[in-house]
Amino acid sequence: MKKILIVTVIVTIAGFITASDSFLQPKLQLHKTESQKQNSESDNPHNLSPELKKALNCKSCHACEYPTPGNPCLLDCPRGSMISVYHSPKEGPEIVLINEMSENYGGVVFSHRLHAEMSEMTTGCEGCHHYNTTGPILSCKGCHENKRMRENVAIPDLKAAYHRQCLTCHKQWSYENGCNTQCHLQKGSDIDVRREQAINKIKGRSHPLLPEPTKMIWETNYEEGKIVTFFHDEHFQVFKIKCNSCHKNDNCIKCHEKKENVDFTKPVKIKKTFDDHHMPCVNCHDGNSCKKCHREGEMSPFNHGKSTGWALSGFHSRLGCADCHGNSMPYKRLDRNCTSCHKNFVKGTFNHSRTGLILSEAHLEAECENCHINKDFSKAPQCASCHDDKSFPKDLPGKRNR
Amino acid sequence: MKNLDRRSFLKVAAAGVSASTLGASQVKGAEIKLDENRIGVLVDTAVCVGCRLCEWACRTAHHLPTDALETYADDSVFKEFRRPDKTALTVVNEFENEKNPLLPIHVKTQCMHCEKPACVSACIVGALTKNQDGSVVWDGDKCIGCRYCMVACQFQIPTYDYDVSIDPQIRKCDFCEDRRKEGLLPACVNICPNEALIFGKRCDVLKIAKERIKRKPEVYVNHIYGENEIGGTSWMYIASKDFDKLKMATLGSSPAPGISEAIQHGIFAYFVPPVTLYTLLGTFMWVLKRRKEKSPEEIGDTKKEVIEEKKDEKGEEL
Repeated sequence: MKKILIVTVIVTIAGFITASDSFLQPKLQLHKTESQKQNSESDNPHNLSPELKKALNCKSCHACEYPTPGNPCLLDCPRGSMISVYHSPKEGPEIVLINEMSENYGGVVFSHRLHAEMSEMTTGCEGCHHYNTTGPILSCKGCHENKRMRENVAIPDLKAAYHRQCLTCHKQWSYENGCNTQCHLQKGSDIDVRREQAINKIKGRSHPLLPEPTKMIWETNYEEGKIVTFFHDEHFQVFKIKCNSCHKNDNCIKCHEKKENVDFTKPVKIKKTFDDHHMPCVNCHDGNSCKKCHREGEMSPFNHGKSTGWALSGFHSRLGCADCHGNSMPYKRLDRNCTSCHKNFVKGTFNHSRTGLILSEAHLEAECENCHINKDFSKAPQCASCHDDKSFPKDLPGKRNR
Repeated sequence: MKNLDRRSFLKVAAAGVSASTLGASQVKGAEIKLDENRIGVLVDTAVCVGCRLCEWACRTAHHLPTDALETYADDSVFKEFRRPDKTALTVVNEFENEKNPLLPIHVKTQCMHCEKPACVSACIVGALTKNQDGSVVWDGDKCIGCRYCMVACQFQIPTYDYDVSIDPQIRKCDFCEDRRKEGLLPACVNICPNEALIFGKRCDVLKIAKERIKRKPEVYVNHIYGENEIGGTSWMYIASKDFDKLKMATLGSSPAPGISEAIQHGIFAYFVPPVTLYTLLGTFMWVLKRRKEKSPEEIGDTKKEVIEEKKDEKGEEL
């Protein structure tokens, strides 16, 4: 009864505040946890940040053309695409105690932070918290019913939700070696002691940093362009690409689970299709020709000056690729005109000394176009519009400062 | 006279056949009407981890001898392909996953509870019945142990107590009929830690299967095994690998008991076999009787002729 009252209050408040948006409120209560219900209109999924408003449209959440309060026709989860706020593993709890289904077991001590650190490299938070809207991160029991026999069987029950998260990676666990030793506490009089031990074992631990490969070279079966070189370090450090944009589908058992006769010093041979091999690259390099990667010999590291003829120095060398080239792939080619990017470079606001030349007082008065014909800054400046007998770079309109 | 007899025999036979076909058309019409909300189970093999808890739960629920639960973690049983037998109504098999060898595919096998079950149609005493709720169950009191059901089943499911001489049993999954009567879920569905077995209305679980394939086309093969196979089954499967590679028979969409059922049920309907049998026997007896009435003179004549001929031959020689 209390809950219904709170829900009604929320609906009324939201209705007053956002008259146009309020009609979508009721059904959304389904996906909220207890704590969220106490918050009022701040949880309204239509109160979106400006960036998210741009990224989402009605169809991102609603399946039908005209959602109504009675039938908001919300899309099924996962809605990973909707997640806009990313959290670091440190923000989450270090340990989570799972006790919902402890009739058979004494509960589970789950090393949440360790797992969050591991998944940061692959699926990120949404790998486990796969259904999350713009609000705070939901726990499993926020959506998954603790009942096997139920009306809506499309969403797994809580027992299955927990187990699926664990067993997708820990598939090789047995009762004696895994389930009962690593996860489920066994019932008994000393359960509190054992729980304490389990907690102490995890407390303060963090996942060791993974050694990052620098350069990888593959020999392919193709006759032309046999060698493919991949600079792993460059993609991470120079191009600033996040781990999980490539490693999204990696499974932790690649490193962690041991099965007999499997040598874990060698990578597991996984049969990949043509697509499996190429997708990680094609995701970004869609417009590039095959020859970009498939070469006759080893490739040299990326050099902006060599590849484009425009060596980056000073401020430019500190920028990320996307700062100039934008986020769309492949990167768009930029011209060398300063004002293409620096729209504010006009007379009066531009400090010419940054280019390495301090203009003399007389030249400070001149318009940019007087020397830089047609405002084309990529070409050498001309003195001819004012001086008949002077030419750059023999004569300078000031002093060099470097 | 002999010609006339044959003609009359053919007449009787023709009458028998027409009676049987007449019966067949009537039997087809009397098919069981399935409930709209009939039950079904979806086996999501991409979620199954091969823990074999379902095997243990099934044995326990059906009072079959079983080892301790802990022994089921032993995955050496996966070395060879297994089928349900008289000790296990369901078994889980392991298949290679080329995409990731560390995560093999597991497939549970049990009775599929066909929409149009071949075993029911093959059973000559009605020991197997298709219930309105979709389940196919066996009645030990009616069974005569002919094992026609075993031959008829396309999935090779019914098993037989060959080593029991008195009251041997046909065994197969009964969809946990007893448990469901008590308002419980089938034992395997109830215990599955990952809910790889989804129990519900057949139409609902079919929808879930379609939704899962649609949402994760990179994971699932676009095929719901059991949706249409031999007219549809109550248990349905979705998988990340082609079903023929998971040792699941490639079957068409037409139900197994089609023409055969019509003919067979026709033959057994309306006392056709006894009527035909007694008609045949009657005709045979009648023919014999007629022959006996005639025979003494006819046989005597021929004998006399033979003796006379022999005498002539001897006379010539002499």
